Amino acid sequence: MLVLVAVHALTAVIAPALVRLWGRHALYVVALVPGATLAWALTHTGKVRSGEPVVETLTWVPQLDLELALRMGTLSWLMVVLVGGVGALVLAYSARYFRSDDPGLGRFVAVFVAFAGAMLGLVVSDDLLLLYVFWELTTVFSYLLIGYDPAKRASRRAAMQALLVTTLGGLAMLAGFVMLGQHAGSYRWSVVAENLPGGGYLAVALVLILLGALSKSAIFPFSFWLPGAMAAPTPVSAYLHAAAMVKAGVFLVALMGPAVAEVTPWRPVLLVGGLITMFLGGWSALRQVDLKLLLAYGTVSQLGLLMVVLGAGTRDAALAGVAMVLAHALFKATLFLTVGIIDHATGTRDLRELSGVGRRAPALAVVAGLAAASMAGLPPMAGFVAKEAAVEALLHGGTADLAVLAGVIFGSVLTVAYTLRYLWGAFADKPGVEPTTVRPVSWAILTPAAVLAVAGVAVGVLAPAVDRLLAPYADLYRSAEPGYHLALWHGLTPALGLSVLAVAGGAGLFDLMRRERVRATMRLPFDGAVAYKKCINAIDRLAVELTGRTQRGSLPFYLGVILVVMVVLPGGALLAGSPWPQRFHLWDTPLQGVAAAMVVIAAVMAARALRRLTAMILVGVAGYGIALMFVLHGAPDLALTQFLVETVTIVMFVLVLRRLPAKFSERPIRSSRRGRVAIGVAVGAVTAGMAYVAAGARQAVPISVDFPDGAVSYGGGKNVVNVTLVDIRAWDTMGEIAVLVVAATGVASLIFRHARDLGRRGDIPGDGPTEYNRPRWLTTGATARSQSVILQVITRLLFHAIVLFSIYLLFSGHNAPGGGFAAGLVAGLALAVRYLAGGRTELNGAAPVDAGVVLGAGLFVAVGTGVAAMLLGGEFLQSALLDFHLPVLGHIHFVTSAFFDVGVYLIVVGLVLDILRSLGAEMDRQHETEGDEVREKELV
Amino acid sequence: MSPNLTYVIVVGVLVAAGVTLLLERSLTRVLMGVILLGNGANLLLLTGGRAGAPPIVGSAPQEEMSDPLPQAMILTAIVITLGMTAFLLALAYRSWHLNGHDEVQDDVEDRRIMDLADRDEVPDDDVDGDDDEESPTTDERQLSTTAKGGRAG
Amino acid sequence: MTFLVPLPVVMPLLGAALTLLLLGRPRAQRWVSLTVLTATVAVAAMLLIQSSLHGPLVVEVGGWVAPLGIVLVADQLAALMLVVSAAVTLCVLVYSIGQGMADGDEETPLSVYHPTYLVLTAGVCNAFLSGDLFNLYVGFEILLVASYVLLTLGSTETRIRAGTTYVVVSLLSSVIFLVAIGLVYASTGTLNLAQLADRLDALPDDIRLLLQGMLLLAFGIKAAVFPLSAWLPDSYPTAPAPVTAVFAGLLTKVGVYAIIRTETLLFPGGRVATLMLVTAVLTMVVGILGAVAQSDIKRLLSFTLISHIGYMLFGVGLTSSLGLSAAIFYVVHHITIQTTLFLAAGLVERRGGTTAMDRLGGLARLSPILAVLFFVPALNLAGIPPFSGFLGKLGLVQAGIDDGGALAWILVAGGLVTSLLTLYAVARVWNLAFWRAPHPEMPAADDAEQAARTEGAVQPQQSLATAQTGAVLPGLMIAPTVALVVFGLVLTLVAGPLFDLSSDAANDLLQRTPYVDAVFPGGAP
Repeated sequence: MLVLVAVHALTAVIAPALVRLWGRHALYVVALVPGATLAWALTHTGKVRSGEPVVETLTWVPQLDLELALRMGTLSWLMVVLVGGVGALVLAYSARYFRSDDPGLGRFVAVFVAFAGAMLGLVVSDDLLLLYVFWELTTVFSYLLIGYDPAKRASRRAAMQALLVTTLGGLAMLAGFVMLGQHAGSYRWSVVAENLPGGGYLAVALVLILLGALSKSAIFPFSFWLPGAMAAPTPVSAYLHAAAMVKAGVFLVALMGPAVAEVTPWRPVLLVGGLITMFLGGWSALRQVDLKLLLAYGTVSQLGLLMVVLGAGTRDAALAGVAMVLAHALFKATLFLTVGIIDHATGTRDLRELSGVGRRAPALAVVAGLAAASMAGLPPMAGFVAKEAAVEALLHGGTADLAVLAGVIFGSVLTVAYTLRYLWGAFADKPGVEPTTVRPVSWAILTPAAVLAVAGVAVGVLAPAVDRLLAPYADLYRSAEPGYHLALWHGLTPALGLSVLAVAGGAGLFDLMRRERVRATMRLPFDGAVAYKKCINAIDRLAVELTGRTQRGSLPFYLGVILVVMVVLPGGALLAGSPWPQRFHLWDTPLQGVAAAMVVIAAVMAARALRRLTAMILVGVAGYGIALMFVLHGAPDLALTQFLVETVTIVMFVLVLRRLPAKFSERPIRSSRRGRVAIGVAVGAVTAGMAYVAAGARQAVPISVDFPDGAVSYGGGKNVVNVTLVDIRAWDTMGEIAVLVVAATGVASLIFRHARDLGRRGDIPGDGPTEYNRPRWLTTGATARSQSVILQVITRLLFHAIVLFSIYLLFSGHNAPGGGFAAGLVAGLALAVRYLAGGRTELNGAAPVDAGVVLGAGLFVAVGTGVAAMLLGGEFLQSALLDFHLPVLGHIHFVTSAFFDVGVYLIVVGLVLDILRSLGAEMDRQHETEGDEVREKELV
Repeated sequence: MSPNLTYVIVVGVLVAAGVTLLLERSLTRVLMGVILLGNGANLLLLTGGRAGAPPIVGSAPQEEMSDPLPQAMILTAIVITLGMTAFLLALAYRSWHLNGHDEVQDDVEDRRIMDLADRDEVPDDDVDGDDDEESPTTDERQLSTTAKGGRAG
Repeated sequence: MTFLVPLPVVMPLLGAALTLLLLGRPRAQRWVSLTVLTATVAVAAMLLIQSSLHGPLVVEVGGWVAPLGIVLVADQLAALMLVVSAAVTLCVLVYSIGQGMADGDEETPLSVYHPTYLVLTAGVCNAFLSGDLFNLYVGFEILLVASYVLLTLGSTETRIRAGTTYVVVSLLSSVIFLVAIGLVYASTGTLNLAQLADRLDALPDDIRLLLQGMLLLAFGIKAAVFPLSAWLPDSYPTAPAPVTAVFAGLLTKVGVYAIIRTETLLFPGGRVATLMLVTAVLTMVVGILGAVAQSDIKRLLSFTLISHIGYMLFGVGLTSSLGLSAAIFYVVHHITIQTTLFLAAGLVERRGGTTAMDRLGGLARLSPILAVLFFVPALNLAGIPPFSGFLGKLGLVQAGIDDGGALAWILVAGGLVTSLLTLYAVARVWNLAFWRAPHPEMPAADDAEQAARTEGAVQPQQSLATAQTGAVLPGLMIAPTVALVVFGLVLTLVAGPLFDLSSDAANDLLQRTPYVDAVFPGGAP
């Protein structure tokens, strides 16, 4: 069976190529695949009849109990025969239905075969989850087939409608399956059926599963999608929407019925849903003027009947039900195919325009007549046998069954009426209507339909044989009675009488409607399509409203939400917590209070400042205050770095702020400002509270107590913080310099917008090359128009001293405050001073290299140090201590992590250089260019 | 460990001031907010380690040294903040260069959906109308065209 | 084999250094990037094999014994994430090269792109491997700063605006993370995750809750969990297609990974399970309704991205083995599929000139390859069987029904509704952009495309003009997308072994001992 499914899938993949190769004749070849399925099923007939299911299993996802477990019992056998047989015939029919140059033909065949494969998988799945897999696949393929002509809005909408409705049901069904499966510990239906839960749990699960079955089989209130699906080509309607896919729900009900028919909601849901559907479908069919839609509503009605019969939950009803499935597939597929032929031959399906087709295409009329007779339940057709069985089964039940029987009879009346309407509409000579021109109907297109129609007769005539084939399924119902047998002739039974009554009633109704024009007054009380539209519209509206509320598009709003969450959640935990620690100290030294006051005042004033420069200075003051606090804490490295970082920050700010307006705009409204301050205070309070509580909760000894010893013995340095940075936690530092590299790249990428400008060497277009190609000691470049000469000379003198100092800081850092960061920042500041004093030519003179190269080299050195350690057999970034004597310098104590620090140094220098080039030089250039442009415009 | 109340208060004030600035629309202010917040977070890290003598072996007994680990973390954080500051400044400049101001603008597409919500409409869709060549109303088209401006990358 | 552990971080960083040094030599840069990322995939695969055979691999960087120094831990979860992300980054790199070739490097300067992209990869890998809380922060910073740069490439007005939102929100989340680290260190005196597992147990409950809340907040922003998610759809879609793709696939997942790691290792017992489940259902439903409201494919996909983060939280919040393993499976699936869809959206943009649905149409006929490349992952995202999205969802539904609590039922329902609405959203894209008759403004010439496809792949520079009108889909853009679609299908085929892996990973996480014992073979200090 798995092989068959796989063959379908494979055929689907190659089908477009085949169609390209052979045109529509390829369809005959493709039809062999479902044909093979039919043949395979027929060869297993004997085995299945003797009660031995055909079983195949392959593991897939054992953790989810999802197995490729296939099992073909009687019911599945019947479905396989239908899926394969009807599939092959419809494909053969399609080979004449479509034109070879139809651009969508390849796609159509592929999806059609894929669908047949999915349907095959569905009906032989034993694992419920696998069944769901195929179930959804049929939905998707059906979606694609309904949208066969996607340029039509109606097709697209119908496809979407079918997709959503059946998927909705399918998902509910999945939940039901999982409920049963998790309870049983397996998803094999053969196991689950023996391990059903009880009570409300089972009831809920069954209702969910029924939702799936009902929506798939277009039962009220989900019926509306099926007529819409008629937008698909007629072969698709014949197969998917009559014989195969819509039977999936029926199949599921039939499959589960024997085990769950007695459980409370099962029978009422099916009976009520089925009866309503039968009536509504029948009524609607009587109102249609499009033959295809007439049949579609007829299908809806018949599906309702099937649900009623299979839902009745007795052995005889089940037998009648499967017989009816068989009969329905045969006659309904035939009828759809004939409609397709009529459509082709006459160019219309409107029964008001058709007249005299029966006389012009008698063979077609005979085929359609046979199928219609079966639909109406006339002997000796399959439809008659099945309906007799159903009536008989219901006739011997209780009051409820009799009520249902009455409904079924009434439904049959409708069926007969719309059958007549179909025959009359398609083939009759209508007075006052021009006889329709009918193109000749080829045997090639009629044969598949004829085969199906004849099969319908055969099933009726050979009823006893069919009975023997199908009875094993019905016998799954535990009933002691000897049971009913399918046959053409049971004698003059009440059932026969009721059949006669139905036919007569139907004929009468048809006659009445034709003459009296009653149909205009008949309105359906509930239209599922309207409800669907409302639902979709409601979802769209909800989506828009909700998104409009939550997705404000405003950064302050988003930040506010995050901050409020922070105040509410961790803040709430803070307030709800047990008593706060009582132990605290005001400060380590009173000087901390002084520094703190400086920081606090500066920060508060910065938040209130209206001028950019003021705000910047105040933020800087706060930063320096923090540096002071670091000093008082006993953190000289930190203080040094903070001091340098603040200074570099101020330089950057100055570079940018000189281009921006002096004042912030006046936009803030007082009320929104209050809101901001309120959030700010709340977040500040929560953060402070958390800091207090967390620090008070410490009982454990921090891991850093072992740092000093390790730093000396293993890291070879006395400055513990520096050793931490370049050795103990060098991995962090490596990441951090990567951040710097990328930040520098990002600054450049923002300011230099084009790749060609990113050669950051200084060959900036518009700058004459001579200015820096001839470095001149202690003199100014030509473009430095406004800067002071004295200042430049001084900075040049200082520059080298500062750079030397930075190198000293770099190497002494391992044992004293300093290190790569601080050193790099110092060197960077030296460059900044050069730039500020002399503009961009000075900068290029001071650092005639590419910032990108410096950054790359730094990263390479730092990471390379780590790799080298690895290559030498250590851990990544492991350092080695080297002690040796040199003639002049004496004893040298060298730690390899110094290389790493060199990398850090280079990257920091590269970063500052990049910032100066971008925020300084390039901004100058852009500004000048724009200034030139403005001046040029003014001149013009 | 007993918390240092001064630190706790400064952390609170820095965060409060930082958040207040962060919620502004001017990117320069936002950036200053980020810097203050960063300082607050750094000080909070410091609160988790004891104060003392500089952690340089030989200069003081080990048990009197300040905790080096928070210092290393803060150093990393400071430098990362430096990189971020540079990037944000470039962003602010670029924003000013393009728009003539450095204020953070609201998202156009979001605004469009908020307008739909205000007018009680649904997004343009397959739902209504009869033919296929229908197009959205002129003003919607213009709106979405401006929304897509500069996006084709 | 422990020497392999640092390599997924080290190799991309070295690559970044090289590409910086190779300034102005784009060919060489491309080769460096491709080599490095290919090697990363290989190393990650070896790590996965090793860790599932022998348990977590631990490296003490610089030889500093834990908990003094930083440890890197490659357990099954980390290794699995590494493999998937490395594979995805490699595919996206190829795609972006394909796009860049046709674009010319006017808008995406390669000398910025390659180093930044490599550093991004390094950051992602670092976050997965890190066994140290502060180092996790550094990992986040690496990938974030790289993402800032990539998001603002070309610095157009839209990208500057979107980038600002993204950068500032991310900075706030970083500050929150840093504060959380400060609090953790203040209360426990350590940063080593394995040691924290032990020391946090000893803390009073309310303080643990506080720390947990702060960390969840920080990670929740990165993972784009409602209501912390609104920044994402405003920023991601504006970036160049491959950038959006890699962001969508990886960055939020790093947040999810951090949530999984900290919730299982540091804060076991599910004290905030209720909160997490409520958040999960809100994220799913609000996110997907957001998608339904969109009329632009990229934005729509961004909302589905948020929505499906809810599924992962759902699994984590259930705190059961099945829930967690389904969540891990879902992460793997979602990284692949969401990336694929964004790449497909990039192809749509290339072919149709836009991703606005009201200006697209007929793509199914105009470009059948593109149609398949969109349709299959779209169904996969919607959880249509037999694709991996269905399998992940199935695991979650099973876990939810096993749980049986009222909240779990609501989540099962929410998950299924989200699945349906996802289908609705992507089917709408399909109906409008692929099925509807081609929009008049679209380049429609079939023959132009045929010509361009053969010629364009070979000599992209020549067909630059056609590229702008969108009729060319360069082979280097198609190939990686195909590769990812196939990868997504392979996930379905190997779902059995993959679920074995994620179950093992989940069990290890829930037990905690495999991780802790690997870091401290002699017991926690």
